[in-house]
Amino acid sequence: MQKSGIAVWETLEIPQRRCARWLFPRRSIWVERIETEWHVLSHAQEIAQRDSSLMLVGRSLKPDSSQWRHYLHRDSGSVQPSPVLPDRPVVIRPDRALTLLPGQSTVFFLEIPVWFRLSTTGARPARIFEEPLAVLTRTWFGDPVTGELCWGLATRLHHSLDSVVASADRAVCPLMIENDSETDLEFQKICIHVENLSVFRGPGHLWTNSLHAVFRGPDQVTQIEIVHTPPGFEERLVPVSEAREPSAGWNIRRTFGVLKYFTDF
Amino acid sequence: MFFGQIATWIQKLSPDVVTKGLRVAVTLVLGLLLVRLLAVVTQRYVMKKSTLQRRMVVRKIIGYSGFVLVAMAVLAELGVKLTALLGAAGIVGIAVGFASQTSVSNIISGLFLISEKPFSIGDVIRIGTTTGIIQSIDLLSIKIRTFDNLFVRIPNEKILSSEVTNITRFPIRRMDIVLQVDYGQDLQRVHETLAAIAHDNPWSLDEPEPVIIFNDFKESGVEVLFGLWFSKSDFVELKNSIMKEIAQRFAAGRIRFAHPRRRMVPPVVREGVAP
Repeated sequence: MQKSGIAVWETLEIPQRRCARWLFPRRSIWVERIETEWHVLSHAQEIAQRDSSLMLVGRSLKPDSSQWRHYLHRDSGSVQPSPVLPDRPVVIRPDRALTLLPGQSTVFFLEIPVWFRLSTTGARPARIFEEPLAVLTRTWFGDPVTGELCWGLATRLHHSLDSVVASADRAVCPLMIENDSETDLEFQKICIHVENLSVFRGPGHLWTNSLHAVFRGPDQVTQIEIVHTPPGFEERLVPVSEAREPSAGWNIRRTFGVLKYFTDF
Repeated sequence: MFFGQIATWIQKLSPDVVTKGLRVAVTLVLGLLLVRLLAVVTQRYVMKKSTLQRRMVVRKIIGYSGFVLVAMAVLAELGVKLTALLGAAGIVGIAVGFASQTSVSNIISGLFLISEKPFSIGDVIRIGTTTGIIQSIDLLSIKIRTFDNLFVRIPNEKILSSEVTNITRFPIRRMDIVLQVDYGQDLQRVHETLAAIAHDNPWSLDEPEPVIIFNDFKESGVEVLFGLWFSKSDFVELKNSIMKEIAQRFAAGRIRFAHPRRRMVPPVVREGVAP
């Protein structure tokens, strides 16, 4: 049995004496069921893979390592791998300086690396473990006293979905920005509170909720709205993981924070 | 048998004494219960969002003042004249006051510390040569647990008059490592190597950017300040990993650390002249 691309996130039955091996571009994960225990091994790939794949292999092929972790859970049978977003906000540093002129609006597609979460299925699903699939840098957003610890990510701001390469270890976050002010809006860093976003699986890509931001000037409140319905850039999207901290809607404190992130003042 | 003896003894007492005894017991029990209830209600509902040390101080104030009031009520029930007692207490108070100047000074310093809030329970502070985690902040002293698990009590008066460094007050810190590289090293390469070490270290923050400053020309080499920002909880991980990385990368890049050197110049010996 072998799956590749987005299909690696499908529910999987791991028979006794077989090992599931997920290969992602920068990480490989091995999972085995022995009696009432789940045995898990996760390690970084020395040579980056181009694509992601899932394969059931015999036990003889499993790596001999002292890093195997053991999780006790009575329910046997199938497991559900899920892509979840990082546990902290992600500060996106675009690969080039970009200025949105007054009165203009645009849509960016941001690629955010996902984490691998493995859960049991059944009446009472339990989370077995969670691992980042890519190493992000640690960064600080804001001033040294009131800022927050984030993950840093240098990436490209895609204007079109055509330039986004389909990948099982990255979710596409559509960000629509309107510059409703008289001043230029320069992008140097964008802080995305990914802990408020859900992940959806489509035929070609993983997606997060869309974000809608209206910039009304450096001294005005910039509002970022999370669109709770699946993004409409691809058909047949199914929700695969919920937000870590579901956002209830507008939040004045966070909105003011977002203003600072956007304007970098 | 025992209870029977008590009952017989009570029956022998006059009704006035029994009534007074009961009133004293009720005042004592109800008074102490009321004080306890007041402390609990204040802690749980009124001061729910206050800091730990503020709650602790308020609990102690309620406890001590409540105990004094209950004691006064009991004494009043027993027929003790409080005015005479208070007069005597005043004289005793003056004597005790002279004898306990240090304690009073500590209490006043404690109140200043509580209002100023330079640190709170759980913070890591450094006072003089002592560094540790604050366990409690009391009216007379603060208690610290050092990293080698020693219990240290520091009087509040001393804290108020000393320089106190709160190491964990802010969420991020900078770790400064001072290096000396040998003269003759390519300083641009040193800069690039240090920048790469900071970039590759998982515990070092990339923003604020690491600081690399060629500080001074020292006796044996060029002094370099290498400052890395980190989240306050990652101190040990960063310290251990970065020291190893510096040693490895410098060795791999053939960058030499400066070592103290002395050049011995032998005196010139001329023919027929004693050195």
